[in-house]
Amino acid sequence: MKTWKWFATASALALSLTVAQPSLADVSIDDIVKDAETTGDVVSNGLGPQGQRYSALKTVNTGNVAGLVPAWAMSLGGEKMRGQETQPLVKDGVMYITGSYSRAWAIDTKTGREIWQYDARLPEGILPCCDVINRGGALIKDKFIFGTLDAKLVALDAKTGKVVWTKKIDDFKAGYSYTAAPLVVPSEKHGPLIVTGVSGGEFGIVGRIEARKADDGELVWSRPTIEGHMGTLNGKESTMTGKKNATWPGDLWQTGGGATWLGGTYDPETKLIFMGTGNPAPWNSHMRPGDNLYSCSRLALDPETGEIKWHFQTTPNDGWDFDGVNEVVSFDLNGTKAAATADRNGYFYVLNRENGKFIGGYPFVKNISWAKGLDKDGRPIYVPENRPGNPTKSKDGKKGDSIFAVPSFLGGKNWMPIAYSKDTKLFYIPSNEWGMDLWNEPVTYKKGAAYLGAGFTIKPIFDDHIGSLKAMDPATGEVKWEYKNRAPLWGGILTTGGGLVFFGTPEGDLKAMDAASGKELWAFNTGSGIVGSPVTWEQDGEQFISVVSGWGGAVPLWGGEVAKTVAHLNQGGMVWTFKLPKQTAQKN
Amino acid sequence: MNADPQASGARATARLFGRVRALVAALSALLLGAMPASAAPGDDPLRSIMWTEMKAQFFADEPVVFDERVKVQVPRVVEDQAQVPITADARALDGVKKLVVFADLNPIQHVATLDVMKASPFIALRMKVEQATPVRAAAQTADGVWHIGSVFLDAAGGGCSAPAMARKDADWSQTLGHAQGKLYRELDGSVRVRFRVRHPMDTGLARDNTPSFFIEKLDLRSEQGEQLATLDLREPVSEDPTLTVLVRMPLNDSVLTILGRDNQGEEYRSIIPASWRQSATSDPPARNAE
Repeated sequence: MKTWKWFATASALALSLTVAQPSLADVSIDDIVKDAETTGDVVSNGLGPQGQRYSALKTVNTGNVAGLVPAWAMSLGGEKMRGQETQPLVKDGVMYITGSYSRAWAIDTKTGREIWQYDARLPEGILPCCDVINRGGALIKDKFIFGTLDAKLVALDAKTGKVVWTKKIDDFKAGYSYTAAPLVVPSEKHGPLIVTGVSGGEFGIVGRIEARKADDGELVWSRPTIEGHMGTLNGKESTMTGKKNATWPGDLWQTGGGATWLGGTYDPETKLIFMGTGNPAPWNSHMRPGDNLYSCSRLALDPETGEIKWHFQTTPNDGWDFDGVNEVVSFDLNGTKAAATADRNGYFYVLNRENGKFIGGYPFVKNISWAKGLDKDGRPIYVPENRPGNPTKSKDGKKGDSIFAVPSFLGGKNWMPIAYSKDTKLFYIPSNEWGMDLWNEPVTYKKGAAYLGAGFTIKPIFDDHIGSLKAMDPATGEVKWEYKNRAPLWGGILTTGGGLVFFGTPEGDLKAMDAASGKELWAFNTGSGIVGSPVTWEQDGEQFISVVSGWGGAVPLWGGEVAKTVAHLNQGGMVWTFKLPKQTAQKN
Repeated sequence: MNADPQASGARATARLFGRVRALVAALSALLLGAMPASAAPGDDPLRSIMWTEMKAQFFADEPVVFDERVKVQVPRVVEDQAQVPITADARALDGVKKLVVFADLNPIQHVATLDVMKASPFIALRMKVEQATPVRAAAQTADGVWHIGSVFLDAAGGGCSAPAMARKDADWSQTLGHAQGKLYRELDGSVRVRFRVRHPMDTGLARDNTPSFFIEKLDLRSEQGEQLATLDLREPVSEDPTLTVLVRMPLNDSVLTILGRDNQGEEYRSIIPASWRQSATSDPPARNAE
């Protein structure tokens, strides 16, 4: 900001009286590509398109984090307090967040005062599977773009919050919605592209990845994730995804799932988009023998054409709802262009991000039962008796044999993003230790109805904790430290050059741990559960840390016996921003 | 019988004061002519406590006069506060560029603005009222002066804070933007456009927390795409807006196109055929976002 010198010399009283409007510059594609290197702003989901969630800032560090205090808090208001899974974006003194029920805000980062609010008018009959959440927006040029529960993409004027354009991603009545943060990537042919997927994995939809022009939302390319479906490029059919019926029997591929509900990451070095795909539909795997490509996979796509450059499937012929959507984080592994991902199935995978080749895979939760391990190519070595029984082989043909599998369908790790520290060279994985009773039932597809063919209950596997934050060495799979939490962890991680790891708990605490040792150094109770992802940035010489608090998401809806650990938690919706008091900051 | 001198004197005084008042009024009129910028609160024929605020909100420093040639019609009895028919008519003035409709005591005062272009300065619509209120039409003439017509609408309250009827209809989103309309040739050669479009027109003030959601722009086009008039609508316009405007469209045109956009960015397009004989229903509009 131009006025920073003035701020530096102003008295505290003068500061409190200042109502200077921040001057807003457009967010360029360069700002986004280089977001990980710039500590003064956060203009992408993941604090950089690589998704490392690492900031080099060290004003707040292991030595002084105990003195962290709230700078301001802002309520999201209304009667729409549900899970707040957003990650704030910050640019030129303005914070942009999304909230439950497809709402969005711009907030003055100095005062916590609202600049504008946008409320989507949602139709009756939306079909979100797992709470009315939103995981954040994207900034590009003069726009703030986010997805809605009725499966639309809305571009708002970043200055006013007024709608510039809106595009329907798909029909909400068929089960589509959109909750992930859109990804913005550069392309030579089309300019900056907004890359999105689709949500609605439990309703028999077919996943796809789409790229749109930032200016007007015009569709450039579309890539279905299930083999046999045709992609498009510039309004014309392009190529088929995979080969029809190669790994799918009959016509089940037509409602084959593979929902791309968690959005993606981008690596500027290889110029590849990484997007994960959800479980194949229906859950009952006996109906669809074969690998069921490209369900439960990580895909690398060319931003220019939407062609699949490589894929890596974590759970072929999935029978446990082990979506492969979890984020792919680019990092350097002793000179190798690597990428890592912590899967729902309980394994942490390290891949070569240039070609998708398997480098290593390690369990990050305990007592995994469905597989004995991974083979040299990273393919799971199944435990056949831990696959739910085929209902057609049961006595009445209605319910197959029930099994107890670990992890549960909510995953060793669910949507909540991991972080990678360039300093400790460790990944920080918010995981959960739980299993499930699971059985299969016959099912037929009906538009807009849940398409599962399975029944389930979730059970904790330890008495004292479900949540488990682990620091893992990607070179060896060694767990360097673990923090155990009674309730399941459901929020993202942030790590900093100050040697810290920040994350929130359903119990409401935002915590700071020593990134090297796992020692808890600071905690603050935000008043409701945290299921969002913290961010940090620097402004006028001070380091700020923000998180949105508000309990919700899938756990309270699907939690089974787990509900005991979370039933007493109350809803909320509050943006909390922290900093060091000026004197504490100067001491270090 | 002697006349009471005192009474007579009082009458004379009254007459004198009457003359003085007339003189002051005439002088004011002169002043208004020369410097027509003062419509003080006291000037408002309805003595509305909101007038000063309304003047600042809608006219800022532009010249304003109260003018009975601008007619506002409202029903004597309001049957439904969410659907109050009103008519704003400034056809008695020449060279009107803009016609603004507002209601002083509504929580959202601005109802609609007609950018006249090739239309007549006339609009009929249905609006919501939250309580009894002055309803005004302000017509801006080519010289920049706003001419204001006012009427007091007596009504029971609640029209703006009651949820839209659409709230009870699970399928409202499926009929969003569907339109019906009819064109009538008037004696003076202009065309009367009557038009209804399906939209909840949520005010954002309803007790059920529904966000504001309303059509904010309508754009009337000739067959060749020429802009005939545009309308800015605001939250107080009733659910499923029903509007009448008068436009001059080319004689041989067989259709009138109405383009619309709401505050959530949805775009609508309706085509009204000019059959001149029978009413017609337009096709379901092409929704841009589909």
